[in-house]
Amino acid sequence: MRRKNPFIYYGGKLAGLAVSVFVLSLAVFYIARLAPGDPLVSYYGDRAEKMTAEERAQAEERLGLDEPVHIQYTRWLGRALQGDFGISYKYKTDVTQIIADRLPNTLLLGGTGFAVIFAGALAVGALCAWNEGNLLDRIICKVGTVVSCIPEFWLSLVLILVFAVQLRWLPSSGAYTLGGGGGADRAVHLILPLTVTAAGHLWYYAYMIRNRLLEELRSDYVLLAKSKGLRRRDVLLRHCLRSILPGYLSLMAISVPHILGGTYIVETVFSYPGIGTLSYESARYQDYNLLMLLCILSGSVVILSNMLAQIISERIDPRMRGEMPAEVTEHG
Amino acid sequence: MDERFVLIGARTPVPPPLPAPKWYDGKPVCSMAVLAFIMLGCLCCEVFLPKDPAYMDLLHAAVPPGSEFWFGSDTMGRDIFSMIWYGGRASLLIGFLSAAISAVLAVLFGAVSGLAPKWLDGLVMRLTEIFLSIPSLLLIVFLQAILGRASVWSLSLVIGITGWTAIAKVVRSEVRQLRNSEYVLASRCMGGGFFHILRKHLAPNFFSSIMFMVVMNVRSAIAAESTLSFMGIGLPLEVISWGGMLSLSEKALLSGAWWIILIPGVFLVVTLLCVTNIGSWLRGEGEQRGNNL
Repeated sequence: MRRKNPFIYYGGKLAGLAVSVFVLSLAVFYIARLAPGDPLVSYYGDRAEKMTAEERAQAEERLGLDEPVHIQYTRWLGRALQGDFGISYKYKTDVTQIIADRLPNTLLLGGTGFAVIFAGALAVGALCAWNEGNLLDRIICKVGTVVSCIPEFWLSLVLILVFAVQLRWLPSSGAYTLGGGGGADRAVHLILPLTVTAAGHLWYYAYMIRNRLLEELRSDYVLLAKSKGLRRRDVLLRHCLRSILPGYLSLMAISVPHILGGTYIVETVFSYPGIGTLSYESARYQDYNLLMLLCILSGSVVILSNMLAQIISERIDPRMRGEMPAEVTEHG
Repeated sequence: MDERFVLIGARTPVPPPLPAPKWYDGKPVCSMAVLAFIMLGCLCCEVFLPKDPAYMDLLHAAVPPGSEFWFGSDTMGRDIFSMIWYGGRASLLIGFLSAAISAVLAVLFGAVSGLAPKWLDGLVMRLTEIFLSIPSLLLIVFLQAILGRASVWSLSLVIGITGWTAIAKVVRSEVRQLRNSEYVLASRCMGGGFFHILRKHLAPNFFSSIMFMVVMNVRSAIAAESTLSFMGIGLPLEVISWGGMLSLSEKALLSGAWWIILIPGVFLVVTLLCVTNIGSWLRGEGEQRGNNL
């Protein structure tokens, strides 16, 4: 493997992204139209069922649904390349506008969730590795196994039951109080969804950190560092944690779509106005244009984060460079 | 030992022999027993069910647990105790069936991809990535819409189709390591076909490494069924399953009927926990070496 010019390296990655997104859009376009269901219902509501054949034909022509699928696709692609993704059948406004309204909510939930998981997993994993085999370690591992078995929707239900219905401490749904709003209000609405998002994923990554750290602790350099007189804390935090960090970073990059995908269900249970509830609606009610843009967005996030993970593991970790052939390291 | 003949000056008394390892050492006996109990109860539930699980006794809707309804009744007046055992059948069946479907798909895809020339392998892997990049919830909604009305079989198929990629990757990398080994080559030279080689030479090698993933797929399939039925895109309401029972929880939340939410959920979580424990036992906990710290 030669060390390539960065332009070629990143250019190749971008081309790969473009091809993947193209194939994805083609696939989603066809699947969505093959799936039975009436898009007119989502545009006209119940009226669509009472339409005469003539009215239906007119309506379909107006929405461009009467033509063969491949012509519809080329037309959609041509407009999309100019930044026009069409209007949503249900909301009758530009799909980019609808998504732009909802996206900040999902980003807030997913972003804080990601941060909590990232930092929490490091802390819990290091704590467990530090206390390997102790009561604390065993308790944390057991609790983690149990919590990771609880489906997210049921955890949400139980939390709503306890904190919103019985104790009345926290709101049970939405992202903010209607009419009100402000930072504190949003934060209060975020607590329960955030807890569920974090609890669902945290243990998996914490367990991973713990096991990787324990593997590191069994290697020879730890023995050397210890015999040099370094303190336990320094060995664990400065040496071991540092050497597993690149792997963890690329793992977390891959996990972005998982965490975002997890928020889909959480959003639905908490009726949180975000991308998740929107995707669910658009797929169920054949809101084609909205569905396309949402799929492309989430697909790009997945592909981008996979690439990011690859780049991290190929470029950031100095050990990976050492493993390349000698002539490469001389130039690099 | 006779006390008159105590050895004096013996520095290292002989340690008592370690008890011989019992057959259950290291095995998740408790999880296996609980899972077996739940499965047996669901299979033979006709024998002991106190009430018809589908009968809606509207006069006794949302009754708290008591002597008549042991686990209470739901908002449509059905007996939760009967529903749990009866509904477990659908949930468990979907779990095992879809894990089996995804395992078959994964082995086929992984083996083809592992044995194929490089360009085909690259193509299959790219397509897998694109497939993975559609959020699985949307994919399930699509597939369900194509297959039409949901039943236990169609739902298993849908969940199975969305869950094979991780196993396929493992199978592929194992097959790539094995495909140049002498015995595979020999079998090929003697005219062994694809399925023959897969069954006789490849599968025994990757069987143990995918076994725990398949068991973990049982778990995620049961969880997926419950999530989908809860959201109303899984099984229809009249088919009783654990997830379907929880789909009534919106009403239950408003009236504070905790038993409708908690009791089926506890059964679900306990089952998932048992399956997880068995799965991680299958993975094997690796070798135990001393800590250098």
